Amino acid sequence: LLLLCVLGAPRAGSGAHTAVISPQDPTLLIGSSLQATCSVHGDPPGATAEGLYWTLNGRRLAPELSRVLNASTLALALANLNGSRQQSGDNLVCHARDGSILAGSCLYVGLPPEKPFNISCWSKNMKDLTCRWTPGAHGETFLHTNYSLKYKLRWYGQDNTCEEYHTVGPHSCHIPKDLALFTPYEIWVEATNRLGSARSDVLTLDILDVVTTDPPPDVHVSRVGGLEDQLSVRWVSPPALKDFLFQAKYQIRYRVEDSVDWKVVDDVSNQTSCRLAGLKPGTVYFVQVRCNPFGIYGSKKAGIWSEWSHPTAASTPRSERPGPGGGACEPRGGEPSSGPVRRELKQFLGWLKKHAYCSNLSFRLYDQWRAWMQKTHKTRNQDEGILPSGRRGTTRGPAR
Amino acid sequence: MSRREGSLEDPQADSSISPLPHLEAKIRQTHSLARLLTKYAEQLLQEYVQHQGDPFGLPGFSPPRLPVAGLSAPAPGHAGLPAPERLRLDAAALSALPPLLDVVRRHQAELNPRAPRLLRRLEDAARQARALGAAVEAVLAALGAETRGPPVEPAAAAAAAAAAATDAGVFPAKVLGLRVCGLYREWVSRTEGDLGQLVPGGPA
Repeated sequence: LLLLCVLGAPRAGSGAHTAVISPQDPTLLIGSSLQATCSVHGDPPGATAEGLYWTLNGRRLAPELSRVLNASTLALALANLNGSRQQSGDNLVCHARDGSILAGSCLYVGLPPEKPFNISCWSKNMKDLTCRWTPGAHGETFLHTNYSLKYKLRWYGQDNTCEEYHTVGPHSCHIPKDLALFTPYEIWVEATNRLGSARSDVLTLDILDVVTTDPPPDVHVSRVGGLEDQLSVRWVSPPALKDFLFQAKYQIRYRVEDSVDWKVVDDVSNQTSCRLAGLKPGTVYFVQVRCNPFGIYGSKKAGIWSEWSHPTAASTPRSERPGPGGGACEPRGGEPSSGPVRRELKQFLGWLKKHAYCSNLSFRLYDQWRAWMQKTHKTRNQDEGILPSGRRGTTRGPAR
Repeated sequence: MSRREGSLEDPQADSSISPLPHLEAKIRQTHSLARLLTKYAEQLLQEYVQHQGDPFGLPGFSPPRLPVAGLSAPAPGHAGLPAPERLRLDAAALSALPPLLDVVRRHQAELNPRAPRLLRRLEDAARQARALGAAVEAVLAALGAETRGPPVEPAAAAAAAAAAATDAGVFPAKVLGLRVCGLYREWVSRTEGDLGQLVPGGPA
């Protein structure tokens, strides 16, 4: 039998010994103690325990931890055990005087699993369900711990076990199909290792309440004519949800090329375009868009944001005049502005139309004026003292 | 009459066998494959010892080096045998390795479930051993040498090894895996050497 072969069956005429360690492959709690024995037997009979010694993970154990129980048995006492160094078990080995290996046993020292928590799930385009969770309070059990995601229909049906693990991180699972809508599921996680098991609280959800989608495709960022502080962002509504009734809301974030700080434009509602204003001239910006398909089939839940789209870059036209900071979508063709200056300007234009009979006034005209002003801004800034010293321009703008 | 060992000019070769250029190409290809697999086998062994923990992998670690059911290491006199006999022994060993590697992979799937690279390497090694064994047998056929029949019940021997190792405990299972990975490396390396002597322009 291989048992004898691997453990060192006596070779013919060699006088080799074998041994047995007890206990074999024990499982222990961190901080507990272990009493083990190495019993030698072999040819010739009367093998002695004298000279035997122990190693643990390759390190020789102090002699005072061992004692000879009888002529053929060496005992070992370990106290306050640390967690196992590797998941395959700590290697406790009994050696003969000459260092040869007589026997081995693997120790599994760890902790039982704690209750998994913080389960969150989402469905991509209502076709599947992905869940992730956080392992128990400390996570590290020093033992291989198996996590199993279970789910069932709340009112009927049997328990099902998720099979595709580690899809979005080490503690996640993906259910690819056969999910019902308009009915609640119960979802929980069971953690098991050699020392015990634990079960999370049950999460109850309807697939429709946790729908997310792919990022908006075809995100394009472009300049707005010659306007040096604006960029136009356009995208497409996620096609996977085109047949479903939902209210999309979008978010845009953008940053300067060499910065890590994103500015977020919230509340883009269900538009598929936006104009960013208040940007720095002559600057490369990275822009991303994401979608939240809330209210799908009448769901009252907040919805789940998609991943951000791949970054799209564009640069504002160059100008020597630094633009103000910003962070909102600008109106196109007279839509309400969110900036205070433009809000006041809108009010002024409205008043002008009413009292000065300037029917042709509009934001479009204002933008054209701004573009013209920026072309000739050197003189203007010189007059206003905006340009730093030593950079006064020579062109002159129109008389004010 | 002298018979050059390692020569393609075997006077006993059947003249109806593949023309010489084809045979040379087959030998070169198989030799290249063996060289590549020797490197992979070394990587597998390193990955294996890393996951078993010390003392596996420590210099001087020497568990009992006993025969594994159905397979032994190349004999000391292997290099002195005629080329066809060496290749026959190589092919026989390579065909005995896959079920043993499968046993080791199953053990490691329980002992080291979070070591996907190790498990993949073990799975790959079984396939690679089969492929190299088949290639060596093809060379033997091209040389006109008889190939030995399949080893006696390699799968059954491997199944017995699995059951026994499981019953004996985790440490013996780790030692078994070390032994099998070591034998895989030895035989692939041996095959590379034996084929290298047949490569035209190679060492005689």
